[in-house]
Order: sequence, then C-alpha cells, then structure tokens
Amino acid sequence: MKIKAITIGLMAAAALAVPAKADKLDDIIGSGTLRCAVVLDFPPMGSRDAQNNPVGFDVDYCNDLAKALGVTAEIVETPFPERIPALMSGRVDVGVASTSDTLERAKTVGMTIPYFAFEMAVTANTNSGVTSFETMKGKTVGATAGTYEAIALEEQVKAWGEGTFRPYQTQADVFLALSQGQLDATVSTSTVAQANVKTGSYPNIAVVGKAPFDTDYVALFTNREEYGLINYLNLFINQQVRTGRYAELYETWVGGEAPNLTVPGVYR
Amino acid sequence: MFGYTFRWNQALQALPQMLDGALVTLQVAILSMVIGLALAIMLTLFRRSDSRILRGFAVAWVEVARNTPALFQIYMAHFGLGNFGIHLSPFAALLAGIAFNNAGYLAENFRGALKAIPETQARAGRSLGMGSLQAFRLIVLPQMLRIAFLPMTNQMVWAILMTSLGVTVGMNTDLAGITQELNARSFRTFEFFAIAAVIYYLIAKAVTLGARLVARRLFRY
Amino acid sequence: MFDTALTLNDLLFLAQGAGMTLAVTAVSVTVGTILGILFGVLRFQFGPIWFAPLTFLLDIFRSVPLLIQLVLGNALQSILKLGWGPFTTSCAVLSLYTAAYCTEIVRGSMESVPVTTRRAARSLGMTWGQDMREIVAPLSLRIALPSWIGLTLGVMKDSALVLWLGLIELLRASQILVTRLQEPLFILMICGAIYFLLSFPIARLGGHLEKRWSPHD
Repeated sequence: MKIKAITIGLMAAAALAVPAKADKLDDIIGSGTLRCAVVLDFPPMGSRDAQNNPVGFDVDYCNDLAKALGVTAEIVETPFPERIPALMSGRVDVGVASTSDTLERAKTVGMTIPYFAFEMAVTANTNSGVTSFETMKGKTVGATAGTYEAIALEEQVKAWGEGTFRPYQTQADVFLALSQGQLDATVSTSTVAQANVKTGSYPNIAVVGKAPFDTDYVALFTNREEYGLINYLNLFINQQVRTGRYAELYETWVGGEAPNLTVPGVYR
Repeated sequence: MFGYTFRWNQALQALPQMLDGALVTLQVAILSMVIGLALAIMLTLFRRSDSRILRGFAVAWVEVARNTPALFQIYMAHFGLGNFGIHLSPFAALLAGIAFNNAGYLAENFRGALKAIPETQARAGRSLGMGSLQAFRLIVLPQMLRIAFLPMTNQMVWAILMTSLGVTVGMNTDLAGITQELNARSFRTFEFFAIAAVIYYLIAKAVTLGARLVARRLFRY
Repeated sequence: MFDTALTLNDLLFLAQGAGMTLAVTAVSVTVGTILGILFGVLRFQFGPIWFAPLTFLLDIFRSVPLLIQLVLGNALQSILKLGWGPFTTSCAVLSLYTAAYCTEIVRGSMESVPVTTRRAARSLGMTWGQDMREIVAPLSLRIALPSWIGLTLGVMKDSALVLWLGLIELLRASQILVTRLQEPLFILMICGAIYFLLSFPIARLGGHLEKRWSPHD
C-alpha cells in the first residue's frame, strides 16, 4: 500500500516537475520557416545555377520537407566542415547535406533513417593510366576530407602501402585537382562523379569504374535529443519513397533507377 | 548546461598524432623561413641593382606578396600553377606560398634596415678593394640582419601561423590538417581545435623566446 | 585565355564578394580599434603587471592561427547557443584579433611620447584628460597611424579566411565561379587583382605618411 502511494506521489511530482516544453518541431512550425543546412558544391545534391542560386536534390528535398510542415524553406549554405556548428548554434534546424550516418558522428548528432544512398565510383584523369579501382595502387589519389569515401580510401592507400592520399576541403577542389592532373584518381559518390563529368567543364576526366566500398547511406540530421523531430523526419523520408517523390527527384537530378534505401536482413 | 558535453578524453587520445603534426608544422615554417630569407636577400640585391628589369621584378614580387592574402597565394601556388601543368604537392605548394610571402615581407624589412646603414660604409669597403657583392656580404648584410632581427622573428611566428592554411590545398600531415581530419570524422570541433590552439601557442612562444636568447648571444652591444 | 565564359552577372557576384570582404573588414577594424585604444590606454596607465592577465589573453590572439581562432569561435558560439550567423561570428573573432594587435600599436606609440613632455604639460596645470587629448594623442597618432594602416590592410587580407565559416567573400566567390566555369587561373587572377587594387593604394598612402611623419628623415 505504502509503495503504491509513494509511486503515485512520485508520478505526480514527475508530472509537475516536467512542464510541457515546446520542442524543435513546435518551434519550426511556430516560426514558419525551416532552415536547412545544404552543401552547395556537391552536385547534383547541391550546387548553384547560372544566377548563382542554390539548386539540387538536397535543395528540393528541403523544400518538400518545408511544404510537408506547412512552412517556408530557407537554404543555408554550409561548407562540409560547418554543417555541425551551424546546427549546434541553432542557425539551422535540419541538415539536408548528404551526411553519411557514421557511428562516430551519431555520438554527436541525431541521424534519421537513410534518405539517399551513394554508390562509390572511381573517376580518373585520362592521362594517369588508372582504369579501375585496383590500378589506383601506387598513384596519387584524393577525396573530400572527412567524407565516408575519404576515410575508406585513405585506409585502402595505407593497406596498399604505396601511393599518396590527399584530402581537399571541398568536392570542387578535388575535381579541379583531378582535371589538372594533380591527382591521378579519386573515389567519390557515383552521382557526384557523373554530374561532374557530364558538365563537360572538366577536361580529361572519366568515370572508370566502381569502388568496392560499402554503400554510403546518408541521413538527415538534427540535434541528438530532438526525438519528436527525428520521428517526423523518419516518417517524412518513408513518405517520400512511398509517394514516388523520391524516385521522381532522383530522375530529375541523377537519372536511372533510384537506389534502395533498406538493408536486407536487419531492422533500423 | 549548454546541451553540449565536452569529451576531452576522446580528444586527448589523439594528442600524439597532433604532436607529430606539430613537428611537420615546425618543419614547414623553418624551411619556408630559410628559403624566404635567401629569396629576400636576392630581392634586396635586385632592388639595388642597375637593371630596371631586376628592380621591377623585385618591386612587383614585394608588392604582390604584401597586398594579397596569404591564403590566396597558397591557393594560387597549388591550383594556379596546376593550370600550367606544374604540379606541386600540398607540402610543396604550402612551402612555396609561405616562402613567397616571407620573401616579400622580409625584403621590405631589409629595405627599412638598409636605411640605417650609411652608404659610406659600403663605399669604404669598395675603396679597400672589395667587389660590390663582397662589400654587401661582409659589411652591409651582417648589419642588415642584425637590425632586422626582430621583424624576422615576427615573420617566423607569422610563418608558423600561415602553415595552418595548408588544409585548403590538401595538406593533411601538419597540425591544422590532422586537427581538421579528426574533426571531420567525429564532429568534436571545439575539443580538437582547442588542443591545436594550445599547441600553436606553445610553438609560437617557444620560437619567440628562443629568438630572444639567440639575439642576446649574437648581438651583445 | 580571354575567351572566357565569365558574364557580367559573374563579375557582379565577385563585386558582391569584395563588398563582403570590405564589410567584414570595416566592422572588425572599427570595433577592434576602439577596443585596442581602450586596452592600450589602460595598459599604459596601470602598467604591465596589473594588466598582465589581459596581455596574456590578447597575446593568444597573436599566437594562434586565425583559421583556428575562427573555427574555435564558431564552435564556442554554437556551444553557447548564441545563434550567431557567420557574419557576426567572423566579425567578433576578427575584432578581437584586430584589438590584440591594435593594443600593441597604441601602447608602443604612447610609450614613444617622451615622459618629460608630458610632465611639462602636467606642470603647466593641464589635467590628465587634457594631457591625453592635447599632448599624447597628437604625438602618438603620428607614430601609430602608419602601423594602424598596415594592420587594417592585414585584417582585410586575413578576412579571406572567413570563407571557412561559409561567408561568401571575395576569395570564396572566386572559388564558386571556378567550380562552375573551370577557368581557375583567369578567375583567380581577377580575384588577386581586386585584392591588390583594394590594398595597394592604401599601403602606399601608409608608406607616404610614415615617410613624411618620421622624425629622423
């Protein structure tokens, strides 16, 4: 009897002690704007058109999310290294920035279920003699610093025991270096590789094959403790696939069959 | 309290790696200073030469080095030269960029220092039968280096600080490069960069103190 | 090489970048100078021992790479949830950076005013304020101004680093155009030329003033 009374007392105290607090989801809807961190030198996910306005898959994805929330979208350009400080300081609400959902990062920010998946492709300078992933051995290779593929490639170079690895801070610098012949080859997401080769503005580079890395699943991210928002984002990603909007956006920006976002044999 | 929990443990585990980076930083700074010093002496001679072309070259070098950002100079050394098919590794590009910058500033310091050395001294040397280069080397240069010693120390500290710009051209072995890579992997920005700041501070202080001790030994008036 | 895809629109974009460079510089130098004068005068009045903590703090800004300062400043404001945009953060860090150097300039120039001159002024019945205004300010200004011009130009050039925080200033604007147009050399040359044109005339003015006001020439 006594225990029951104490339990009820504690529950009542807990209910009183925790006032109803508006969470981030409420804040976004209340403020009427959704601020997304987007990386804009990462075509076709994010780039600038001829008027230097932001365009791309991530930009559209942010707009869709804003529409679902009934608010207007604001694209905040963030270089790769600035995605997290921008979130932490409350300058953006959500990152729609092709962020790989590594366990290391999940210690710091909250990741949703994957909203996109990248295959890794090898792009080479046509004069380098690199024709496949294996022939990169002993060459000068590079990738965008801190990305999934950069970490994997650097480990591979170490495993090969020869050749050099160079990280650049932006994807654009990687392709510039590649086209100048400063790099012999790079591993990047296949969408980025295709988009850059397709622009025709980089002479003498070509996609030469796939890299045998695991599929790079990327997630939306927000503050770790904002479960309400993360729940909403998860459902939103699910709905994007269900309604066919995901395939539609993929067709617009990348082309071909949209990659599967589930991993067989395991729950998320 | 701020919704951010510091994780110094995780960051401090990377300390040995960062200290290795600090050595590379110091190496780049010292090399860039040696090269910059040699180039600055060359530019000073050019400025004193009778050839208009040499003088023009020296003036152009000094003005460009002093009137454009160091970041721009390093970026240019990598991607600008790369356009001509001249491929400098990140290490070389960083070194070239800083040495270029050092040379410009040091040459300007030397110009100021030269004002304090009477023209008559060099002439006296010449009349003793020295060649003009010999007179410069034996009479003017030692005094010039002594007068410009403090600005040279400052430039050395600048060189250390400038090495941090190497990350923009793919440098990943120096302190800033390693810090940035650790940060990109884990997103623990504050912890890693705070440790880097402390290391940079200690290096800069060590150099300043060292220079003071050297100065005391070398220039006892 | 002059067969370029660069449009008028893109040049305008570069000009906007240059405008951002100038805006960051103007704010940082103004705030930094006010702080620098304040710190410099305080340091001069209270002497190096009482001022030691602040000297140490300011020294940090001169011994740590600006890039690291900017990243740290940005991380700090994010931890404190200040919600500052990149412009505010950049200006805050650059202002302190400027103040650190400016303090040294102010202190150095004030120390160059002979003590005897100031004693003479005080013995003529001038108050401390009058002494500062009528004697110290004009005399030390001559020493300080050329260095201050150099500092301002230095801050303008160093402000290129704020691109790291995502602010589109001159160098970042050039990089964006390079990405789209793939004419690195040409666009970088334009970028360099703009920096040079902004900096060189003022540098010359500084050199001229230094020569004219230098007491020994």
